Amino acid sequence: MKVTVVSRSGKEVVKGGINLGDAATVADLQEAIHRRTRKFYPSRQRLTLPIQPGSKERRPVVLNYKKSLKDYCDGNLDYLTVVFKDLGSQVSYRILFFWEYLGPLVLYPIFYYFPVYQYFGYEGERIIHPVQTYALYYWCFHYFKRILETFFVHRFSHATSPLSNVFRNCAYYWSFGSYIAYCVNHPLYTPVSDLQMKIGFGFGLLCQISNFYCHILLRNLRKPDGNGGYQIPHGFLFNIVTCANYTTEIYQWLGFNIATQTVAGYSFLAVATIIMTNWALAKHRRLKKIFDGKDGRTKYPRRWVIVPPFL
Amino acid sequence: MAAQFLLLLRRLYLTLYNWTVLFGWLKVLYLAVQTLRESGHEHVYDAVQRTLQLAQTAALLEIIHGLVGLVRSPISATLPQIGSRLYLTWGILWSFPQTQSHILVTSLVISWSITEIIRYSFFGMKEALGFAPSWLLWLRYSTFLLLYPTGIASEVGLIYVALPYIKASEKYCIRMPNQWNFAFDYFYGTIVVLGIYVPGSPHMYSYMLGQRKRALSKSKRE
Repeated sequence: MKVTVVSRSGKEVVKGGINLGDAATVADLQEAIHRRTRKFYPSRQRLTLPIQPGSKERRPVVLNYKKSLKDYCDGNLDYLTVVFKDLGSQVSYRILFFWEYLGPLVLYPIFYYFPVYQYFGYEGERIIHPVQTYALYYWCFHYFKRILETFFVHRFSHATSPLSNVFRNCAYYWSFGSYIAYCVNHPLYTPVSDLQMKIGFGFGLLCQISNFYCHILLRNLRKPDGNGGYQIPHGFLFNIVTCANYTTEIYQWLGFNIATQTVAGYSFLAVATIIMTNWALAKHRRLKKIFDGKDGRTKYPRRWVIVPPFL
Repeated sequence: MAAQFLLLLRRLYLTLYNWTVLFGWLKVLYLAVQTLRESGHEHVYDAVQRTLQLAQTAALLEIIHGLVGLVRSPISATLPQIGSRLYLTWGILWSFPQTQSHILVTSLVISWSITEIIRYSFFGMKEALGFAPSWLLWLRYSTFLLLYPTGIASEVGLIYVALPYIKASEKYCIRMPNQWNFAFDYFYGTIVVLGIYVPGSPHMYSYMLGQRKRALSKSKRE
């Protein structure tokens, strides 16, 4: 079959098109495009069917790399036009997450162990309060856990993310991480009461363990070959809240902040909550739209979106 | 019927708002030029202070207008603009009197007032009469070409002039230790603001260039 590859402005991306066997898959097409264009490796390619002029469809159909090209030809068995979009340099999620989380893991202990505060004008010995030591352990455990989950637990639906996200996300994590580390390990840090600290860390630890369990449950929802169709999450807290993984993450930071009490920590919690709430709303809506109860599909159950009892 | 009444109310309110603030900025420009000629640039701030503070602070209402949907402007564009204006008016000029006699105050006040006079009369006419004359549209989307650079240069210049006074006075600083383990140093905050001007100014300028292209080509086609 002959495939014509055009850009969104109509220009031919691969001159003369590509000839493939009738049984070819989209993945084969992506390989062929890569071979012909050299620069565009498959994860950079976004291939869609052209929108028919009269059609009401606003979002074009994205080609799934597993499907065979024949599935996308309507009637004409031997030719197809696809629209190509370059997604820019891509990076695997594993690599993205690793770099995001490495910053906080490495930067925080620097403020704890090394005499950095002399460069901010604070000379002399620093008295280290117990809460500061526990905060160090808690924080490092958290980010170490995240890195382990990135490599051994999470199953990613789209294998890659744009390279620009590496800079943006690392700036976010590394800046906030340094800011919180600076405040909590400060020579003039004022601890909260012993009881408040224990409640904070205890609650936070409980939430971290729950969060880990949520990630295991999410992993088991997806089949290993990455054939990610959407599933209704269930089990444990997922029975009452759609994004229980975000819920436990938010509450875990709340625990940390109850124990350490800094404006820096609470502002990080606020920003993280806003970001995760946006994701949770999108996911909740998507699931409700797919599982609408019609045509034999199950209806998505009534659940909290992210943070009971608020949303 | 109620909808029509509300639309009329909105139009009346916005007309009143725009013309009132326009008058304020006209007064600022008049006082600035008059004082400049009669007494010299060192006295310009004293003459315009109250009127400037009123006219500029009134712009806070525009954030509310955008939030409640009274006007269409995206708050993402108006917030940095109003933010920098209020920062200079209150956070630099009012807080650190040593800056008030500087010649950059004159260039600042003149750049701001001409820009705002054109802007508010443009919106004032649109709300009151339903349209604005094409020469006013042209002014609105062309004077920024000169006034943005002069205004921004004056803003950055005055912030820079204020730096030693900010550091010495320790004003607006929150020191540790405190219950919330929070520290804020106004001097370093000001350095950060100066840093924001570096990518922020070209961004605002090119945004206005884009707006100019859109607005002037649209009026050509009409």
